[in-house]
Amino acid sequence: MEAALIVAVLAICYLGFALLALSQDRHWLHLCGERHCPPGIAGSLRVAGYASLAAGLCLALLRDGPGFGSLVWATTLTVASFAVVCTLTWRPHWLRPLALVCQRHAR
Amino acid sequence: MGATFRESMGWLHTWSGLVVGLLLFAIFWTGTLCVFDREIDRWMNPSTRLVYAGEPIAIDGLREEAGRLSPRTAPWAIVLPTSRDPALWIGYRGRGGFERTLFDPLTLKPVAPAESWAGTRFFFPFHHTLHLRMWNLGTWLTGLAGVAMMVLCISGVIIHRKIFVDFFTLRRSRQPHRLLLDLHNTTGTLGFVFYFIMSFSGVTILASVYYPSGVWVAFEGGRSGYVRDTYDVFSRPRLNQPGPPLGSLDAMVATAREAWGGLNPGLVRVFHHGDRNSYVEVRPSIEAEVAMRTDPFFFDAATGAVLYRTYIRETSQVQQFLTGLHFAQFRHWTLRWLYFALGLLGCVLIVTGLLFWIESRRKAHAAAGWKGVGFVEGLTVGGTGGMVLATLAFFVANRLLPSGATFMGGARYELEIWVFFAAWVLSFAHGWARRGAAWIDQCWLAAGLCILAVILNAATTGDHVLQAWTDGKLAVAGMDLVLLAGAFAATVTAWRLQHRRQGAASKQFRHHPLEGQSS
Repeated sequence: MEAALIVAVLAICYLGFALLALSQDRHWLHLCGERHCPPGIAGSLRVAGYASLAAGLCLALLRDGPGFGSLVWATTLTVASFAVVCTLTWRPHWLRPLALVCQRHAR
Repeated sequence: MGATFRESMGWLHTWSGLVVGLLLFAIFWTGTLCVFDREIDRWMNPSTRLVYAGEPIAIDGLREEAGRLSPRTAPWAIVLPTSRDPALWIGYRGRGGFERTLFDPLTLKPVAPAESWAGTRFFFPFHHTLHLRMWNLGTWLTGLAGVAMMVLCISGVIIHRKIFVDFFTLRRSRQPHRLLLDLHNTTGTLGFVFYFIMSFSGVTILASVYYPSGVWVAFEGGRSGYVRDTYDVFSRPRLNQPGPPLGSLDAMVATAREAWGGLNPGLVRVFHHGDRNSYVEVRPSIEAEVAMRTDPFFFDAATGAVLYRTYIRETSQVQQFLTGLHFAQFRHWTLRWLYFALGLLGCVLIVTGLLFWIESRRKAHAAAGWKGVGFVEGLTVGGTGGMVLATLAFFVANRLLPSGATFMGGARYELEIWVFFAAWVLSFAHGWARRGAAWIDQCWLAAGLCILAVILNAATTGDHVLQAWTDGKLAVAGMDLVLLAGAFAATVTAWRLQHRRQGAASKQFRHHPLEGQSS
């Protein structure tokens, strides 16, 4: 349970930053091949992204309480966002399935 | 400076970064190592590679031993084991200053002394004193670096033109200095909170050194008054009359543990042993919470009656939280690894900053015939790559030197430290001699030293990765695995740099990412 929760915190923060990255034109172009992220989709991606990060905080607090939980979340934010940066730079195709799902919703 | 606010902040960021960059790297690198200070201790001091999983310990059997070890005028302490620091030890003021005698936590039999200063006594003091004790010089320099880091963080945010647009941007297919700047920007932006809080808490921990006047003005009795008020410490004077024998320490520990709600004790200290006014301090372990709690119980040494219970005020609790989150002595493995990752990210931030300074000026300086770039490049090689090499040489020397070795009056632990500083100085010389090519040499050398350290550990102690893992010595196995990962990263970096250099030499303009630069 403990281990599953920490993996969930990392995963959900990673997902949150991936969604936030997709909401930006540069990365939308890179992953979806369209010049602009449709405004409506960009907005929902941002909301979903921030909601994921907030969910990560809730899970971290649930697992570790206010002291350790807040530290785990704050440090995970950096590691997860840097992981997204590295994925976008060296393994962008890993995020293509996520991009496709978002693109399908846009239509 | 500059005409606009942003330009003047750019000037500040560039030049203060250049001036304190190497100092910051030394502090960040040793700080990152200190995240695993106890694990480094285990690796470098094989006699303390014990396995302790939190079994209850009776320390009454050590009372006589401790009384015998310690001259009766000074207090002595029993430091209780943790899973990270499994040897129980008695600390006392002996003939040669502060001494410690180690015991196996389960059998309470003496263990061979730790011969190396390793993590807690070499890297940790290096992190905040640089081992420059004269006039507190090192502490002042680290304080300066901490304040400079905060200045760099804030000026960096101000001069970053497109923080949100470039938030996730790392462009690999452009000029090398573009990649360096992207790496510097992303590691800086994404780790901003960590770097800032670490610098801030680091400076506050040592605030009473930097602002002694505050302590003198605000507290009656100066520094001792400050300690008494802040930590609510109890004391009573020696009566110089022989007293009854020391009562049961285990009973005192049990009383304190119950009052703390089951928290384990970390330290049991006896003052004025044998005197009629003798008393005992029992402190909680600092493993269970983020804050470094110091709210001890004080007992009468003979009867075990509670004399005083410390309560820490709210302001001091905030300070203890900041201290705790900086020292990271808590038991939380996920957070420990996250700290380690963020520390390495900070090292990447500093190296890429320095490399960007070099790369963006290389052509202009060459055209103008200036020597600045060459000088800074050698300095950067020695201060960053050299720091890593010195660390690895320190590990290798630890496994090569025989037990009890002395040389030119230096004890074994001093020899290791000499090797560290010699390797560091040589790296600077190498950096100035070989300039850009020095990176490649040093990466190969680092990879070799990592592997050599792992082999030597297996050869001299028998604890190779699998053996250590199955024996439950995870600190040793973990350190070997990190060294192997370091060897891999250094090899990849060396190979790519070499490839790129050859490519550039043969005019085939190819670019390769510079990731893992600091590994």
